[in-house]
Amino acid sequence: MEIVKTSDLVYEYIRRDEEGNVEGITTAVDKVNLDIRQGEFIAILGHNGSGKSTLAKHINAILSPTEGTVWVDGMDTSQEDKVWDIRQTAGMVFQNPDNQIIGQVVEEDVGFGPENMGIPTKEIWERVEESLRAVGMYEFRKYSPNKLSGGQKQRVSIAGVLAMHPKCIVLDEPTAMLDPSGRREVIRAVRGLNQVEGVTVILITHYMEEIIHADRVFVMDRGRIAMEGTPRQIFSQVERLKELRLDVPQVTLLAYELKKRGVELPDGILTEEELADALSVYC
Amino acid sequence: MSIIVDHVNYIYGEDTPLAVAALKDVCLQFPDGQFVGIIGHTGSGKSTLVQHLNGLLKATSGHIYFNGEDIYDRDYDRKKLRSKVGLVFQYPEHQLFEVDVFSDVCFGPKNLGLDRREAELRAYEALRKVGLEEELFYQSPFDLSGGQKRRVAIAGVLAMKPDVLILDEPTAGLDPKGRDEILSQIKRLQTETGMTILLVSHSMEDVAEYVDRIIVMNKGSVMYDDGPREVFRHYKELEEVGLAAPQVTYILHRLKEKGMDVDVSATTVGEAAETVLRALGRR
Repeated sequence: MEIVKTSDLVYEYIRRDEEGNVEGITTAVDKVNLDIRQGEFIAILGHNGSGKSTLAKHINAILSPTEGTVWVDGMDTSQEDKVWDIRQTAGMVFQNPDNQIIGQVVEEDVGFGPENMGIPTKEIWERVEESLRAVGMYEFRKYSPNKLSGGQKQRVSIAGVLAMHPKCIVLDEPTAMLDPSGRREVIRAVRGLNQVEGVTVILITHYMEEIIHADRVFVMDRGRIAMEGTPRQIFSQVERLKELRLDVPQVTLLAYELKKRGVELPDGILTEEELADALSVYC
Repeated sequence: MSIIVDHVNYIYGEDTPLAVAALKDVCLQFPDGQFVGIIGHTGSGKSTLVQHLNGLLKATSGHIYFNGEDIYDRDYDRKKLRSKVGLVFQYPEHQLFEVDVFSDVCFGPKNLGLDRREAELRAYEALRKVGLEEELFYQSPFDLSGGQKRRVAIAGVLAMKPDVLILDEPTAGLDPKGRDEILSQIKRLQTETGMTILLVSHSMEDVAEYVDRIIVMNKGSVMYDDGPREVFRHYKELEEVGLAAPQVTYILHRLKEKGMDVDVSATTVGEAAETVLRALGRR
């Protein structure tokens, strides 16, 4: 069954001037149809202003559609009495870890969600432990969050969502503010959730190399889905991606440049290993 | 000339039990007109260092000389220093506040005490330098896209006519095209006006592509200070301190292991393509 489904989803922002008069309408999401199955790893790419974040906020019922419908695990997100169930089913992680951590101690922060849900104390501690272990932060459970690095804080944010036992996690540029090792830590944790825990992952990012392991990639442009496919299918279209203000991983770009200059290589090379293997016939 | 950092130490919370040494005996020189990249993991002291250069933070010990003058001298004009050494913070668009783009950029020069005409002239020039289209000049800065807002914020600092421009992660959260646009405009500023540029970044690929020299910070000290090729030759040591080399560096090392005669010091896709083609005997 689909965990997330949208049907002709439209969302319009109404711009108002200082007196509150309507100045214009911006269609941020324009007739989007999505079917995301339980357990999939989905990546969403798109330039700034393409509608990615607006789309993501619908999955968490932060925004409600102007037209069309969004179902999360069969629940219609426009039904207000379902909002809390929807937010427990689809958790969300944002860009800045500092805005998402509220506890004074890591384990308290992670326990906040389940506590709010009215889970019995004993089970809260079990959930805190398993969530922190899943993101590799268990040994930091007694730390103060402000002593952690960006990547560690972001993993605590993810554990906080995980402790609510969601079926789906939406991550909106979780690595934008992190250094290279922080980015690696977070992406590794996210892949672990997907592969080991079977959580559906929807990852929004501007770093192309983070999505090579996704099952499917959606590329957004002007509120619509402009491209859809596996990472290999998407990254085979270097020119099209550049038109959409995007890029490909450096390894894919290098392979593309070599190919353009007469070296025989397959399309859409995604990893260093693939390129090294493909070139090794020439060694 | 330009900036000399001489045995600078900085301790956060000195004389408290929470004292942390953020800079340890840092010695650096920034000659005029260089494009310098500063990299380091979160908490390595990069931002603390750059905030010393325009006098926002005062060293616990040591000296900083700007054009030969000690900025800690009692009669040194630090207000003037801040107009000469412009600092663009992370997410500078959060600091936009005026009713339209043009007034926002005028704010800095007006504050310097310039008359309206001169301030407007400078604002106009600065907005042109960052490549913002003229039809956006009288729009509210809040209606612009992420990349456009960031360019307005950079223009606000440029309008002060600084000799040195420091940018703290100017591309965080921008789409790939937005990253390239901002960085190539900054590069053009450096080549056309001879301005010194200091770029704090978490993107090794960007640093490799644009800068002449890289300073690597680790635990408050300078770990490496050299050209990009030389610095990224230490990719294993960089990984140990939470950094990495550009992806092409790793690919070239793999190819070398497989017996291909490539120059592993290449750090950009263009350079890597050249060395691979040469090794394949295609040039």
